[in-house]
Amino acid sequence: MKLAIVVQRYGPTINGGAELHARYIAEHLARHADVEVLTTCATDYVTWRNELPTGVERVNGVPVRRFKVKHQRDPRVFGKLSDRVFGERHSLADELDWLDAEGPTSPALIDHLMKQGDSYDYCFFFSYRYYHSFYGARAVPARAILVPTAERDAAIGLHLFAPVFRGVRALMYNSHEERAMIHAVSGNQQVPGVVVGVGSDVPQNPQPGRFRQKYDIRGPFAIYVGRIDQNKGCPELFDFFQRYAKEPTGRLSLVLVGHSLLPVPEHPRIRHLGFLDDADKFDGLAAADLLIMPSYFESLSMVALEAWALGKPVLANAKCEVLKGQCVRSNAGLYYERYAEFAETLHAIEHNRWLSGSLGRNGRQYFQNNYDWRVIERKYLDMLAQLKAAPARHTMEPLPGRSERRHDDLAAAEEVLNRLPKAGDQDRRRA
Amino acid sequence: MADFNIRSDSVNVEQIMEQIRTRIREKRGVDYTEQQISELAAVKMEKFLDARGVRSDLLDEFRRLRPASDAPTRPRYEFHDETLFETHRGPIRFMRRLLRPVLKLFFNPNPLIQVLHIQSQLNDLEVQAEASRRAREQLTFEVMHNLVLEATRMGIEVKNLKMRVESLSGRLEFNERRARLLESAVVYKGMEPTTEPVVQQPAATGRREYESRPVEPRPPADYRPRPEAVADARAPFAPQTAPGGQPAGPDGPGQRSRRRRRRRGRRGGASAASVMGSASMPNAGPTPAQADGQASGDQPTGQTVEPPSSTEAREPADAAGDPDPNAQ
Repeated sequence: MKLAIVVQRYGPTINGGAELHARYIAEHLARHADVEVLTTCATDYVTWRNELPTGVERVNGVPVRRFKVKHQRDPRVFGKLSDRVFGERHSLADELDWLDAEGPTSPALIDHLMKQGDSYDYCFFFSYRYYHSFYGARAVPARAILVPTAERDAAIGLHLFAPVFRGVRALMYNSHEERAMIHAVSGNQQVPGVVVGVGSDVPQNPQPGRFRQKYDIRGPFAIYVGRIDQNKGCPELFDFFQRYAKEPTGRLSLVLVGHSLLPVPEHPRIRHLGFLDDADKFDGLAAADLLIMPSYFESLSMVALEAWALGKPVLANAKCEVLKGQCVRSNAGLYYERYAEFAETLHAIEHNRWLSGSLGRNGRQYFQNNYDWRVIERKYLDMLAQLKAAPARHTMEPLPGRSERRHDDLAAAEEVLNRLPKAGDQDRRRA
Repeated sequence: MADFNIRSDSVNVEQIMEQIRTRIREKRGVDYTEQQISELAAVKMEKFLDARGVRSDLLDEFRRLRPASDAPTRPRYEFHDETLFETHRGPIRFMRRLLRPVLKLFFNPNPLIQVLHIQSQLNDLEVQAEASRRAREQLTFEVMHNLVLEATRMGIEVKNLKMRVESLSGRLEFNERRARLLESAVVYKGMEPTTEPVVQQPAATGRREYESRPVEPRPPADYRPRPEAVADARAPFAPQTAPGGQPAGPDGPGQRSRRRRRRRGRRGGASAASVMGSASMPNAGPTPAQADGQASGDQPTGQTVEPPSSTEAREPADAAGDPDPNAQ
C-alpha cells in the first residue's frame, strides 16, 4: 500500500502542532506501508518563504518531496481579506482569494497530485484550512483522507470548506468536540470518520532532577510548554498567575518553555527558559507539579497528552472546548474560566497531593488507552481497511461557476461560527 | 484558602469542579464577568443600588434625549459686500456693476448687506458652539456610563462585603463565647483539688431554703470561724440547684457586677494562695473584697453575712471553687 502525507511544512525541526502530528503519523505508518510526504519548501508559517530545496530528501527514513511556494504571504492583503470574509457578507470568490492569500500557495504540489495521484492508494491531507488540503482533496477526492486539525475559530465558518468535509473519503478527527463541530458546520455525518488524535514518543525514564539542576529550579512549579503568544492565552495566564502568587498559601512558580512573541513579566516566581529540545522538555514536564494550558483554541493539545503520559495533572482553559472535554473524559485535569476558578483549582492541585496524584494516574491511563502508538496505528490501519473494503459512494461537489462565485450572499464566517452549537449547549440539552 | 476535600475513592473532575464552584460562591458571592456587570448596570441596577440615589434607566434616558445622529451640517453662508451682485456670468456681472448706481437711487442696500453679514457670523458662532456642546456631551456620557458601571460594581462589592462582615461577626461572637467558656473551665478545673464536698446542711438564714453546697474552698488552717458565722457564711454560697443538678435562679445586674469584681480580684489583686484559700498560707492577707468591706465600714471579714446570692447558686463552678472573701 502506498500512502501520501500532504502537509504545509515538514521537517525534523518544525514543531508546529499539525506539522509535528503529520511527521509522527508518517513515521509510524511507514512501518506498515510505503509512505511519501508531499510538502512545500517553506519553513516559516507566516511568510511561507521558500527556504528548502525542491526535490526528494529523506527525513528519519521517510521520503519527503518538496514543491515551491508560488508567492509569499502579503500580511496586508491577507489581513484585509480576513476582515472581509470573517466579518462581512461576502462572495465565494472572496473566500478563494483569502485562501490564496493565506498560502502556502503551491500549484506545483497540486499539479503533482493531479498527475501522480493514481500512484497513491490514499492521501492524508493535514490541516483543512490551507491551500494544499483544499485543492489537493479536490484533485484526488476518491483517495483523500482529511486530518482537519480544526479549531473553533472563524475559518471553520467559511463556506468553501463544507464541500471538502463532505467530499473526502474519510476524516481522522483529533477530538470528539472537533467532530461535533465539523458535523454541525458541514453536515458530513455520512462520511466515515474516527476520533484518533496522535501519540507521542514519551521517554520511559525522564530525569526531573537533571532538569532542576540544569536550570537551577527549586520548589514546586507549574509548567507551560508552547509558543508564548496572545492566541495561546498567555497574557491571561500571566495575569492570573501573578494574582495567585500574591495569595499567602501559594508556593508554586511558573516555568515557561517555548519561543516568546510576548514580553514575559518580570516576576520572581516566573521563569522563561526559551525553546528546549525534547529531552529537556520531557524532563521539565516530569519535574513539574502540573501543566497549565491557557490556550483558547486547540484541536488537540499534544503537550497535554505528554503531561498525562508522564502522570502529571493538567489545568486547562475551559474556554477551549477540546481541552475541557479531554479533562472531563480523562478525569485527569481541572479547568478554569476566570480567576476565582484558576486560583481554587491551582490551589487544589498544589495542596492536595491525593488529588494531583489521582489526576496524574488517570492521565497516564487515559494516554495509554487512547493515545498509545499501537492504538493510533491500529485506528489508522482499520480506517484504511474499511475504505478499501467499501468503494467510494459520494463525490466532491464542484466549485460554482465564475459568475456565481461573485454573488455577495455568504454570511460572515464569525456569524456562522457563533451559530454553531457549543459543547456546553449540548450538555445543557442532555441535562 | 479553604482546604479541598474529596470524599470519594475515585476522581470525578466534573464533581470536583462543581465543589470548587460552590466554594467560590460561598467565599466570594457571585462572581460576575465584565459583560454581566454591564448587563446588570443597564438593566437591573435598582436591585443593587438605592433607587432613590441613582435612576436605573439613566443611561437609556440619556441615550433617548441625545439626538440620534450627529449635528446636522448647516450650510455655511458667507456674506460679503459683493455677494448680492455676484454671478458667474460675465456680461450680467458687467451690467450689474454698470447699473448699481442706478439701483442705489431707488433704495440703500448697505444696511441689508450689513445685517446679512452679521447673521453669517452669528451662524458660524452657533456651529462652533454646537460642536463644542456635542463634544462635552460625549464626555459627559462617557463619565456617566463609567460612573454607573462602577456604582453597580461597588454595589455588588458592598453586598459581598456585607455578607462577609456578617459571617465574620458570627464567627467572632462564637469565638468570644467559646473563649469565655474555656477560660472559666480552665480556671475552675485547676481549683478542684483544693475543694472538697461539704456535708449537706439545712439553710440557717431562713430567707430561702438552700439544699446544699457541694464543694467549698478549704479555709486556712488556723482560721476558726465562730460557730454561728459558719452556718451563716455557708448559706449564701450554697447553690440553688435545679432538679437535674443544674444551677437555677435569676441573675441580677448587681450580682453580675459582684461576680466580675471577684474575678478581677482573683486575677490581679489577690495572690493565688489567698484566692485559692490554701491551707499552706495561714497568714494570707485580706482579699480586695475584704479590704473593700473593711474600708466601707462593714463587719470584719469572716463575720460578714450577706444575703444569699442566686448568681453563685446558678454557677456550680463559682459555688464550688470561688473563694468568696465575704464568706470567710
